[in-house]
Amino acid sequence: MKSRSRIAFAAIATTAAIGLLAGCSTGSDASSDGKTKIVVAVDAGLEKPAKVAFQNQVKAFEKANPKITVTSREYTWTGTTFAAELAGGTLPDVFTIPFTDGKSLIQQQQIADISDLVAKLPYADKFNPNVVKNGEDADGNIEAVPIAAYGQALHYNRDLFTQAGLDPDSPPTTWAEVRADAKQIADKTGKAGYATMTQGNTGGWILTSLAYAMGGRAETGTGAKTKATVDTPEYEKALELMQDMRWKDDSMGGNFLYDWNAINQAFASGQVGMYVSGGGNYGSLVSQNQIDPKSYGETVVPLTGDDAGALGGGTLAAVSAKSTAEQQAAAVKWIDFYYMQKLFTKADAQRDAKTLAASDQPVGAPQVPVFDKATYDKTLEWTKEWINVPLDQMKPYTEQQFDQTIVPEPAKNTQELYGMLDPVVQAVLTDEHADPAKLLADAQTKIQAKLDSSK
Amino acid sequence: MTTNATGLREPHRASSPKRSPATWLRRGGLSTLVFALPLILVFGMFSWWPIVRATVMSFQQTNLVTAPTFVGWDNFVNVLHDPLLPTAVGNTVWFAVLALVFGYPLPLVMAVLMSELRRAKGFFSALVYLPVVVPPVVAVLLWKFFYDGSATGVFNTILGFVGIPPQPWLQNAGTAMPSLVLEATWAAAGGTVIIYLAALLSVPPELYDAAEVDGARVWRKIWHVTLPQLRGVLFVTLILQVIGTAQVFLEPYLFTGGGPNNSTTTILLMIYDYAFANSTGGDYGSATALSIMLAIVLAALSILYFRLTKKWSV
Amino acid sequence: MTSTVPSAPVLGSDDPAGASVAPVRRAPRRPVRRAAAPADSSTRGIVARADRARRSVRASLFSLNGLLLLGLIGLGLGPMLWLAKSAITPTQDTLRTPLALFPNGVDWANLSAAWNDVHISLYFGNTLILAIGAWVMQILVATTGGYVLSILRPAYGRVLEGMVLSTLFIPAVVLLVPLYLTVLHPPVIGTSLINTYWAVWLPAGANAFNILLVKRFFDALPREVFEAASTDGAGPFRMFWSMVLPMSKPILGVVSVFAVINSWKDFLWPLLVLPNPQLQPLSVRLPSIQSTTELDVFLAALAISTLIPVVLFLGFQRMFLNSAGLGGAVKG
Repeated sequence: MKSRSRIAFAAIATTAAIGLLAGCSTGSDASSDGKTKIVVAVDAGLEKPAKVAFQNQVKAFEKANPKITVTSREYTWTGTTFAAELAGGTLPDVFTIPFTDGKSLIQQQQIADISDLVAKLPYADKFNPNVVKNGEDADGNIEAVPIAAYGQALHYNRDLFTQAGLDPDSPPTTWAEVRADAKQIADKTGKAGYATMTQGNTGGWILTSLAYAMGGRAETGTGAKTKATVDTPEYEKALELMQDMRWKDDSMGGNFLYDWNAINQAFASGQVGMYVSGGGNYGSLVSQNQIDPKSYGETVVPLTGDDAGALGGGTLAAVSAKSTAEQQAAAVKWIDFYYMQKLFTKADAQRDAKTLAASDQPVGAPQVPVFDKATYDKTLEWTKEWINVPLDQMKPYTEQQFDQTIVPEPAKNTQELYGMLDPVVQAVLTDEHADPAKLLADAQTKIQAKLDSSK
Repeated sequence: MTTNATGLREPHRASSPKRSPATWLRRGGLSTLVFALPLILVFGMFSWWPIVRATVMSFQQTNLVTAPTFVGWDNFVNVLHDPLLPTAVGNTVWFAVLALVFGYPLPLVMAVLMSELRRAKGFFSALVYLPVVVPPVVAVLLWKFFYDGSATGVFNTILGFVGIPPQPWLQNAGTAMPSLVLEATWAAAGGTVIIYLAALLSVPPELYDAAEVDGARVWRKIWHVTLPQLRGVLFVTLILQVIGTAQVFLEPYLFTGGGPNNSTTTILLMIYDYAFANSTGGDYGSATALSIMLAIVLAALSILYFRLTKKWSV
Repeated sequence: MTSTVPSAPVLGSDDPAGASVAPVRRAPRRPVRRAAAPADSSTRGIVARADRARRSVRASLFSLNGLLLLGLIGLGLGPMLWLAKSAITPTQDTLRTPLALFPNGVDWANLSAAWNDVHISLYFGNTLILAIGAWVMQILVATTGGYVLSILRPAYGRVLEGMVLSTLFIPAVVLLVPLYLTVLHPPVIGTSLINTYWAVWLPAGANAFNILLVKRFFDALPREVFEAASTDGAGPFRMFWSMVLPMSKPILGVVSVFAVINSWKDFLWPLLVLPNPQLQPLSVRLPSIQSTTELDVFLAALAISTLIPVVLFLGFQRMFLNSAGLGGAVKG
């Protein structure tokens, strides 16, 4: 009967449709044919030489570890998509996260606890304590491995300095000098003498950097007893400095809605004289914003007061919570091989530098040592011939960075804390009658409420 | 009534004597089901189920890694106590009001003028609709450049021609929202004009004839014939515009990220921040609670609105 | 609800008795129930014909329309013309003298830089793929759904229709979070749909407005044709394919226009479900590349992104404008 063939057709069509929809799935098998498979993160958008070098590394690793198969997946950490990938289970087995998120992920047990495996690494106790703290849980076990670290620095445009009649080799060393120089740049060149980020949690981040440089802290205490300390003289001083530069000196230009990308772009194109950001920022400025290397200068953030320090940040390598025990062991081996060896092994350091240089990536941008200064100096020595950043122009930073204490970021609800300070900075910069003390008091209440309501 | 192989039937019979599966099959019930499948599957998975889920989630705390826990009214209470909520609600209302002021009467005026054209209607229609066709992201990014606060910004340069000093546009809490509304109006007015125009063109001309017999001049004709005839369209466009602007997200997100100082943070932006802005997992319970509260308010508003206007609409 | 009917006769006949009214007739005071034939309404508007003959009226109409034209060109078209000009102007000129016309010559390289170096071609392709897939989904669901609800009319049809229409009253915001979680953990399929185009295509099909449009159109189709066909032995598939679809070209045109426009405009949803930059459409990608792209190249990218929708619009003006007007009328 006609209807029977219709039924058959319908059934087949429906099944095919469902099958098609379900078709795209590659569940990562933990192991097949006795080998452990792991998926590792590789930077997205790599140039050909870098891709080839990466593949070579994978081959070398697999040769040294015949029981492990490595596949790579392009991965970039972004604030809005990381949570989705975490939830959807689409994270690779090995991935990177910034320091800021490390603590929360560890606290919420959203990454694998590899502390036992990490403890077995020969250099497990040689980490720079200020740096490794960001990957530790409450008991001091390392659950995520720091692979790079930086401290805040003051970036300045040498060309604008020269045009304004300032000496580009003598950048400001106190906040008063920063203010004076900013005014001079604004007066003589019409560009913003000093600028700051204010959006996407960066407003609070930079404000906190300034406050820390003036001796303040964002939080005291730990765990459930954490108290917010943004309603403090140091934070207020930082805000007042910006307020004066904005309204009294008019040296901050006309854009107060910068985020991290936009301010880099403005600086690279010569619109901004000075700004505070991560010490290794030169890398981004070159690869993403095409800065003219000759115009770049870097110095340390001026520190004043006891307890003053440069706010630190960095990147952690973590292992997915969904991986099996074998995969975790393989993952830690990969982390050691791919991320850590180049920090203290000559051959790896040189190979890495060569690859980066071949893709026109910056080699030698200032960092905070993951281990100690001696090791860091050695790597600089080994990779000397590939260093392509204007180290001379960064001397004010590199010569003084080790005199400064690197202070870890506030531990609890860091992003929310920064986010709640964004409007404070924006208000100070866009409203002539803003009252820093009141804004900070309000922010403090909100931040404290947030701290109290989360675990 | 007879049915045939395709299952085509006339008026639906509430209960048939014997509806066995065989009967159903023979009447083509399976093929009907096959036709209904795309609708059922797609709506089921991506419309009905999420709606149910939204209601359920608003009473739960969801952390994507562990199972959700039931928390009763906590999410709603948290949202209502959020210090940002009054600001967001105020901003959303402000946006809606400004959008109505700029974007509701102006298209009507333009449509009236255009309806009087005898030959160039098509040309004007295309011209007025062009901004609507521009992708919204492009429009916002373009206008963001126009709104540059320095003296060499595009708009400030234009203002400079007529002697007005440079405006901060997006850089000031007071001018940020109107700037957003200005761009939103530019982008959307064309659509409203076309809708009004279509309605205007279908006003029966005899009504105008009749009004002229009574000696009406232009304004009286507009007041007594045009507007009443347009009543339905005007009313519906009003409520639709309110509902649309209550959910504005793109302009605040791309222009100012909610700033400066939360002056352009709207309810949708708050929902987005609850759910997606936290890199270690969002507060989905609060996000859905706020969405549902917004939906209820809009529904109540619509019902109230239709009740009130029932007397006046034809 | 309004009694006016748009001049675009897409909904099919709704007045079997015909409704042509003799042009010059003193109508009684009560409003006419059916719209006059289009020819009449376009020969007169508010201004009386007699008035038009007067020079002062013509002059003021002319100046008002002239003002409107200037306004539309300056304010409406202006930004787009500026974009076209700046797309081929070097950055420094745009920054220093934004309103000047090529003070230092034209820079055509911007366009090729945008297309190749910034990979606008890739994102353009993504936008196309997304639009086509969404269009297919919407046509599929709307035609089959409309067919079932309007013509096949099963017992559960009423329930289905009610459930579909009720979603019209639910603002999209409610769906945002749970839909996202559904896409993360889809019930039948198992793996996350994030970073696949299905995450955009599938939800696009759940558009109740399309169902409404198509169903109303099908309702207006003459039943006799279908009954004749089924007595001739045509099965439901045959009827759908060979009769219903060819007859529904007008409404499919409207649905297609809406589908393509909405897909091209979509921002928040693709932003959420397509975090991989290689898959992102123009609307999502353009804001992200702003800070790593030179201004002139960026403006060129913006201009290219606007080109297709504008060209499509100019080419299919009638369809666009009829659909736009229709949208208002249906809602009324």
